[in-house]
Amino acid sequence: MSADKEVSRSALGRVVNEFEENAIALMLGLMTLVTFINVVLRYVFTSSLIWGLEVTLILFAWLVIFGVSYCVKVTAHLGVDAVTNLFGPSGRKVLALISAACCIAYSLLLLKGAWDYWAPFAALQPTDGRWFPLGFTTGVRDRAFYTTDQVPMLDMFRWLEPLINYDEEYDKLPRVIPYVILPVGAALLLFRFIEATVGIIRGTRESLIVSHEAEDAVDELAAQRDGKE
Amino acid sequence: MEVVLLFVLVIGLMLIGVPIAVSLGLSSTIFLLAFSNTSLGSIAQSFYQAMAGHYTLLAIPFFVLASSFMSTGGVAKRIIRFSIACVGHLRGGLAIAGVFACMLFAALSGSSPATVVAIGSIVIAAMRQAGYTRDFAAGVIANAGTLGILIPPSIVMVVYASATDVSVGRMFLAGVFPGLLAGLMLMVTIYIMAGIRGMPKGDWLGWGEIGRSFSDAFWGLMLIAIIMIGIYGIPGLTGAIFTPTEAAAVASVYAAIVALFVYRDMGPLSEGEGRARSSVLRKPWTLVTAFVHKDTRRTLFEAGKLTITLMFIIANALILKHVLTDEQIPQKIAGAMLEAGFGPIMFLIVVNVILLIGGQFMEPSGLLVIVAPLVFPIAIELGIDPIHLGIIMVVNMEIGMITPPVGLNLFVTSGVAGMPMMSVVRAALPFLAVLFVFLIIVTYWPPLSTFLPTASMGPEIITN
Repeated sequence: MSADKEVSRSALGRVVNEFEENAIALMLGLMTLVTFINVVLRYVFTSSLIWGLEVTLILFAWLVIFGVSYCVKVTAHLGVDAVTNLFGPSGRKVLALISAACCIAYSLLLLKGAWDYWAPFAALQPTDGRWFPLGFTTGVRDRAFYTTDQVPMLDMFRWLEPLINYDEEYDKLPRVIPYVILPVGAALLLFRFIEATVGIIRGTRESLIVSHEAEDAVDELAAQRDGKE
Repeated sequence: MEVVLLFVLVIGLMLIGVPIAVSLGLSSTIFLLAFSNTSLGSIAQSFYQAMAGHYTLLAIPFFVLASSFMSTGGVAKRIIRFSIACVGHLRGGLAIAGVFACMLFAALSGSSPATVVAIGSIVIAAMRQAGYTRDFAAGVIANAGTLGILIPPSIVMVVYASATDVSVGRMFLAGVFPGLLAGLMLMVTIYIMAGIRGMPKGDWLGWGEIGRSFSDAFWGLMLIAIIMIGIYGIPGLTGAIFTPTEAAAVASVYAAIVALFVYRDMGPLSEGEGRARSSVLRKPWTLVTAFVHKDTRRTLFEAGKLTITLMFIIANALILKHVLTDEQIPQKIAGAMLEAGFGPIMFLIVVNVILLIGGQFMEPSGLLVIVAPLVFPIAIELGIDPIHLGIIMVVNMEIGMITPPVGLNLFVTSGVAGMPMMSVVRAALPFLAVLFVFLIIVTYWPPLSTFLPTASMGPEIITN
């Protein structure tokens, strides 16, 4: 289990970890099932779920945007360690801190962008300013009436109608719901990068990257071999 | 000029250990904010649309999932047994079987490091027991493992297809002959080396063993058939049955069923502490419980994690692509090259060099999604077939992965074989030379890659 690297000390940490891992598994599972069912429907029953493709694509976006923060937590993001490995421990720590600063800058920019993009769909105001948020704008046109193409409206979201859509009924799911993952995901990403930076300062983690996807498996093999010899 | 700065920034950030995705995203974002009128909001939008707006890329999570179900030790063992039954009796047979197993497994997994780990961890040990040197074993596997990205279905090809808007189906077909040729060249080299050095040969186990081991590996190998028949149809009978994306989803459901109910390497019917491998007939309720079993959840989660890391890179690289397109960079470079009198051959050499260097450091799909949008328009301008270019790029990255000093597969092999980097490098060199010859063949003999797709799907039409 790759997540064992990150041993959560607190009960809350374990619950959050469980939630993140199950959410990732569930979203991928649903994507596969919906696509598979649609193929079966097409060939066996000559019908289809009209919202199937759109839901799959939304789940795909959710999977990735939600999951990037988890991958920061367990240090799963791919990077190049050929150069950093040439340095001694203290040099590596300095480089890791510089790269952590870059990551935080990236997630701050992404967070501002995510809010700016999402806010009009939620009848909120985006932020002013090109690089940094300088207060909120006024008078940016509301986009809360935009709906998805085919996804049916769910009753559990009816409370949105009086709140942002002037009491008008949505006939399809409004876009504010799928797009909400952008600000949420970007905020989580920022949080995890800050957490990682603290970890580097404290010395509990060394870097933000792994050099290839099979690293876990290779480590496991090495551990087995060491056990035998 | 600013563009040079952009690339320096991307590479510089990468080298100091910033995750590849963030290097790409941060540099492009800074560039867009400083030199164009794009807002952060629209960058965030294109990040979201990288997933929600790219139907082709949707094949990636499904292929990753299918290969996660298939990458259990059980499937690798069955494939190796089948390979040994086929070619184990030749001189150097176990090594040839290793290459053969890598080719079959590559077709299931689509990832080079994964192939090295799955096949290498079993074959290298077996070769040493049979009397091969460890160096030879490691050299063979490091090289054969790179076939993973060339033999379809290949995730790297899906990435190329979506970065350049060519058909995934064509790319897969184009990889068939080059993949077979590369495998064959490695096998012949091993056979010759084995003859000279007097390497051991195994016993001929008879046609019975071939039949038995084939029927055991059958369910795993069927996955390849499902994908290929799904995408291209049954020759002469039907047209295409699925899109590549659907084929990948069907393949992953199939792989789950095989892993859970047929091979039972995982899930509620598998062997565990204090219980034997059970049958679904004896425990019918597992038809439901297997899909929420912790092994299934673990596989889904691992595949999801890999998808996330790959897609994070791709989504950010698409932002970079956006910059390149906006600034008309490839067109400018193409113009400069044509003016300087560079022809297609010179251009291909330049591409070779860039990818060989890049392939040293970077995971292939990430590298491809950066380089493809840059070189693709130039190649079209120079009259190079886009499918051919795709295969050239894939082969280059294959070689980059085993080129010293820091090829990715060398690292993985040194981990799997438990030997120092330098000895793996030395061990891999003779086969690396073979792959270089292969690269030259692929680069300068386009029909090798374009014959099959053109024959079965008609000539490629370039739309842009």
